Amino acid sequence: MPPRRWRSAALALLPLLALGVLLVAPVLRLAGEGWWGDLATQTPSSPWALWTDPYLRWRVLWSVLQAAATCIAALLLGLPVAWVLARWEFAGRSLVLRLLMLPFVVPTLVAALGVLALWGPRGVFSGWLDVHLQDTPWLLLYGNLFFNLCVVVRAGVDALEHVSAPRVAAARTLGATPWRAFWRVEWPAILPWLASSLCLVFLYCFAGFGLALVLGGQRYATVEVEIYTLVAHELQLAPASLLALWMLLLTGTVAWGYALIEKRLATPTRVQPIARQHPSRPAHWLGVAAALGVLAFFCAAPLVAIVWRAAHAGWDTWALVADVETLAALWNTLRFSATALLLATVLGVLHALAAQSSVAMRAAAFLPFVVSPITVAFGLLLLYPQWTASLPLLLCAYAVLAYPFVAKSLASALDNVPEHLPQAARSLGASPWRVFWRVTLPMVAPALRRGMAFAAATALGEFAVTLFLSRPEWATLTTLIYQRLGRPGAANGDAALVLACVLMALALAAFALIEGPRRTESPHA
Amino acid sequence: MLHRRRFTLAATALAAFISLPALADDAPLRVLVHSSFSLPKPLLAQFEAESGVKLSIIKAGDAGEMLNKLILTRAQPIADVVFGLDNASVAKAQANKVLEPVAYTQGSATAQVDANVVPVDYGFVNLNFDKAAFAKSGLALPKTLEDLAQPAYRNLLVVPNPATSSPGYAFLLATIAGMGEEKAFDWWARMRGNGVKAVKGWTEAYYTEFSRNGGTRPLVVSYASSPAAEVFYSKEKITESPTGNLFLKGGVFRQVEGVALVAGGGQREAAGKFIRFMRSGVVQEALQTTMWMYPIEAHTPLADVMKHAVEPTAFDSLPAETIADKGTGWVARWTQVVLK
Repeated sequence: MPPRRWRSAALALLPLLALGVLLVAPVLRLAGEGWWGDLATQTPSSPWALWTDPYLRWRVLWSVLQAAATCIAALLLGLPVAWVLARWEFAGRSLVLRLLMLPFVVPTLVAALGVLALWGPRGVFSGWLDVHLQDTPWLLLYGNLFFNLCVVVRAGVDALEHVSAPRVAAARTLGATPWRAFWRVEWPAILPWLASSLCLVFLYCFAGFGLALVLGGQRYATVEVEIYTLVAHELQLAPASLLALWMLLLTGTVAWGYALIEKRLATPTRVQPIARQHPSRPAHWLGVAAALGVLAFFCAAPLVAIVWRAAHAGWDTWALVADVETLAALWNTLRFSATALLLATVLGVLHALAAQSSVAMRAAAFLPFVVSPITVAFGLLLLYPQWTASLPLLLCAYAVLAYPFVAKSLASALDNVPEHLPQAARSLGASPWRVFWRVTLPMVAPALRRGMAFAAATALGEFAVTLFLSRPEWATLTTLIYQRLGRPGAANGDAALVLACVLMALALAAFALIEGPRRTESPHA
Repeated sequence: MLHRRRFTLAATALAAFISLPALADDAPLRVLVHSSFSLPKPLLAQFEAESGVKLSIIKAGDAGEMLNKLILTRAQPIADVVFGLDNASVAKAQANKVLEPVAYTQGSATAQVDANVVPVDYGFVNLNFDKAAFAKSGLALPKTLEDLAQPAYRNLLVVPNPATSSPGYAFLLATIAGMGEEKAFDWWARMRGNGVKAVKGWTEAYYTEFSRNGGTRPLVVSYASSPAAEVFYSKEKITESPTGNLFLKGGVFRQVEGVALVAGGGQREAAGKFIRFMRSGVVQEALQTTMWMYPIEAHTPLADVMKHAVEPTAFDSLPAETIADKGTGWVARWTQVVLK
């Protein structure tokens, strides 16, 4: 092997080890138990059994359908919004960009309650508009968009800021209409970013669990919910692993295809971004208003509903923020997230570097999105029973679930680093480590920070694995919210909402802290 | 340089975090519990101090999930004792040989689970109703389950799915115990026609569908102690619960849950102390308002708030063996009848 291959193999070692030990092995162990273990009593007759059972077939088809529909809707709504945010300068713009992260850090159970507060049986919108979305697929699609629209918008804004201003200007000078300039110059430039975000959206929705569990009801739940039910409640491991295998095949294909596309589309360029303009005509302001309206409707409304209800919870409920239990949970949340973030950053950076020369590695970064946390948690329990309720295992699981954000964000940024700069540094005698530290890292730092911010948000809101591997003294804010929702009484419901607000504030603070101030904007034209 | 120093600091902090629990490890008693387990922290601390037993409490999800975890890991048990197995799930535990016999003869238990389980508390799964919603609609409360299948009660009931929820499962068992298998599934089929709503778990049923919490359904499958919990956790001081119990024939299931030794687990002496602790007066009093169950020891004084949760005089039950033999099949049939 040439030295370059050796180096990326060495870099890949740690992330692959982590994936293997904490993700692949537990899942294989669980599947093995289902097929050959003591519980292999319900082994399906053939791997095709899935497609002959109309119930399971509907589950799989619906899973694909809702993910695809969300992707299309998120692109159609998200791209214009991203364009407005990237091209127009207006007061509160950077605040809007920050706030876009919020949906991402809301625990799914709370988000679902927010969605239900709007569209549920006695929801605000249901009342005004007299529409009832309960038990329809729209509830899940709205929830999906709540979580995923901001992913596409963020990616779109980043992408549009990487469009070369001179090239667009040249096209315009040569007589291209704005629309044509967009289509021929901007669109090809932003495609890899959009493709990557849409790929994520598809994987989130397809492999998503929490939302489908609550908002899907019994009819519109996805395969992931079915797998969870089969494993956790019915102990039918063989059919569950069969389903999981098919899921893996489908999502693996998406991840692989995406890795290929992104690699091919990546063009290292040092761009001069297009300067943002101040809206001057009513039409411009209308565009800005429409973009903000879309965001308010899909991303802000459920959160506002939660904050609104929490604000009306009264002082007695808010006082519980200062009680011992909450403070302990807050401290746990902070230190667990910090540790997980550190681990995730190390893994993510190594993985991203290794992925520069390998499509397989790129695809592998999606494994944690593809395999459901619940399945992983069960597999871990089965594989390492002696480590049940051990903090290192919990934190490692956190890190493995969160690090793809770092890896993904960094990998795309590394693609865009012009090759000649590191080469120049190398020819001047810098060691590879020094090149990375002094040349490459400063250039990809914003992307790294963004990836880390995402990872931190994931760790802060992590729930499924916590519930499985945690002990009471390690209760985090999410587990506390869940506990409150497990008891009757109005005070408990309000307490859950108040805690959700605290968690949101915490996540926002963490995000602002990690992502840092956005780099100084170039003065407008 | 600053960056590098910061990195070193962070790495040290990380190492400290990870090594902390390893240092504090001196073979505690591993107690597996379901997610509803909850006792006041001072009480647990007092037990640890007086008995010299260090507790490591492992929460394992819903009661059904907890049992499945026990079964999955029986080759290398993850706990020494387990709390929360009940009369609906114990036979499955026995069939999979995850429990060890336990000798305990003290106290005066008012109900039993199984020879291998020391009973600790009991509760009832039944229907709760929203008093305000019924007062507003002027509809009379149903007197039998049959009433619920009548058009007047269309779209009023929400139930947790028996496949994914312990109270849902208990309610299904109650209907079968109260009406007989065939009549019960016939009732469920008619309930489907009459708009019964099934949701994944108790939380969804109670917090999103129950009209008391913003939903549209004034009838929900919950616990006999829930009205008392409503008073206890009410924001304002109230003297009457906003919800009430409906004890209908075929709609009440008694859950008796207890503590047991995990087969292959260690720490038998400490486990014995923990079992005695769970039956002690302090725990029996405390569990009423933390886990919302009734104390199994006959002479335990009832918590004041439990007057809002008067016990039903009658309930339906099935032999544990029958539940073990047919439970899975019944759940599958329920899914077929109500959902598919």
